[in-house]
Amino acid sequence: MILARLALRNLLRQRRRTALTLMVVVAGFVALSLAGGFMAQTFKGLADGAIRGGLGDLQVLPPGHRDGDERQSLERSLPDGEALAAQLRRDPAVAEVLPRTQFMGLISSGPQSVAFLGTAVDPLREPRFMACLDALKDGAKAPGGAGSRWLSADPDAREVILGTGLARALGASVGSSLTLMSTTKAGALNGVDVEVVGLQDLGLKELNDRSLTVSLATAGQLLEAGPARSALSIVLRHPGAAAQEAVRLQALLPGTRVRPWYELATFYRQVKLLYTAIFGFMGLVLFLVVLLATVNTLLMSVLERIREFGVLRALGLQSRQLLSLLQWEGAFLGLLGSGLGLAATLLLRAGLNALHLRMPAPPGTSHGYELDIHFVPLVYVAVALGLQATIQLSALFPGLKAARLRIVEALRHV
Amino acid sequence: MLELRAITRAYELGGERAGVFGVSLEVPQGCLAVIAGPSGSGKTTLLQVAGLLDPPDEGEVWLEGEPVSRLPERARCDLRLRRLGFVFQAFNLVPVLSALENVMLPLHLQGFPPAAARIRATAILERVGLADRRNHRPGQLSGGQQQRVAIARALAPDPALVLADEPTANLDHAHGGPLMELMSELARERGTAFLVASHDPAVIAQAHRVFRLVDGQRVDTA
Repeated sequence: MILARLALRNLLRQRRRTALTLMVVVAGFVALSLAGGFMAQTFKGLADGAIRGGLGDLQVLPPGHRDGDERQSLERSLPDGEALAAQLRRDPAVAEVLPRTQFMGLISSGPQSVAFLGTAVDPLREPRFMACLDALKDGAKAPGGAGSRWLSADPDAREVILGTGLARALGASVGSSLTLMSTTKAGALNGVDVEVVGLQDLGLKELNDRSLTVSLATAGQLLEAGPARSALSIVLRHPGAAAQEAVRLQALLPGTRVRPWYELATFYRQVKLLYTAIFGFMGLVLFLVVLLATVNTLLMSVLERIREFGVLRALGLQSRQLLSLLQWEGAFLGLLGSGLGLAATLLLRAGLNALHLRMPAPPGTSHGYELDIHFVPLVYVAVALGLQATIQLSALFPGLKAARLRIVEALRHV
Repeated sequence: MLELRAITRAYELGGERAGVFGVSLEVPQGCLAVIAGPSGSGKTTLLQVAGLLDPPDEGEVWLEGEPVSRLPERARCDLRLRRLGFVFQAFNLVPVLSALENVMLPLHLQGFPPAAARIRATAILERVGLADRRNHRPGQLSGGQQQRVAIARALAPDPALVLADEPTANLDHAHGGPLMELMSELARERGTAFLVASHDPAVIAQAHRVFRLVDGQRVDTA
């Protein structure tokens, strides 16, 4: 413990220099921790968006399904999707199963016809688990969206909800009558007249320009697909168990493909990869700054104490103990820096969140969001450990320099 | 106790060969011995070789009947910790530790339990007359007091030999004389051998044995 005591007092001996180094460590901790909290908010938002945007926690897909291939929507489908959904609803791990049919075609207002990507959903079950009503609320603010409401549960109702961009292209608004045209499962051309009951803003411009939502009953009439469904979205009772449940359900449903949401959420994965790369690079730079600042402090300290180290070695301090002494100094710098950094992070986080700052819309999305830096203890622990490792590493070089001193030369040092 | 046999340690200084050449001497237990000589005569070099801080080019250092100068650095370091004590011209106390902590330092390094180290260090500080200054840091002590703390630190592990390099050089006569008297008393009381390098007549006057060096060679008759 004498080495620890010596190390602490040596740090206190050069208070200004120690304070400057601590400031660098604290700044590194704060920057990395706030960035981590911001990333956590972003990832959580994107994950929620993907899951509640229709993917659910798991998707049951036809065996030949390939990502992003809409042409296969009904050519390869779950032949009796409704029966499969009923079977899955009896599973204790499953909270709800939302069958959906993906289809494409043309939508016409008379003078204007535009290609669309359609999703047919269960109008009763869908709003209980998905974010469709939020999208509708945002859509109601768009031109022509006033009076937007969700699809009727009446199986005879022929209603459609349009993406805001698609409505604009068609010149349609709530109350407009339009015609949906598509090919049936058998390949024949078919059409259905529908009434626009709402506009939806799905957050992505490309989706808003092309997407529409109808009830499964409306799609059934248009596509003549009977009980066939493109996919089943499964909402789990314990969403954290998606990976394990995917494996378990896959074993129960051999004629299908069960995939967790994150394998299908391409945008989520791309953004996560991008942010990880950006913040990873930023972290590397910050760790490098901390490394250089600490090396500088400890090296200066070693150069000032060469004679003292010579005396300690003469008294019988082994060179490895001298190395330990510098490691202790690094340890105290790290511990103190991380402690102060954590306090500063929590204060800054509270302050920034209290400001209710609006962040600009991320690339490819249509609206911004409020800054809410998450409290992520794991990030704080990881940053503290990373900084501690960096500082211990930086203490190694001055420590080795001190340990290699020739005692008689160190004693002569002025 | 300490025996130097034909020690040579040479180095280049300003293009000339300096150091010590073929020096032998013996310091028995409880003896206060002084290596005397003018500046550059090799006193400090000989002391560093005797203190296992620097290996000799030739010759051998014997400590308590064992040849020790060719031991690996780790073993020499351990011997310095357990069997040798050092007193330096510039005191060289650790500035961030109190007088008591400085004296406890070698005991801590030996692995003494803290309470035992404290008791022993306090007793030695009392013996050198600094019990009331034990919580002062070196910067709060006079030169004479610092050197007495350094002697206490050197004696704390109960060494066989204390090596002192010009211990009175930074002290005035009023402090230098009593310091040497203290060393002489301690050598007698504890049976510890002292080997002191000095050209101070007051130091030489206290010596039980004097070895005179000129140009790295012993010039006295043994």
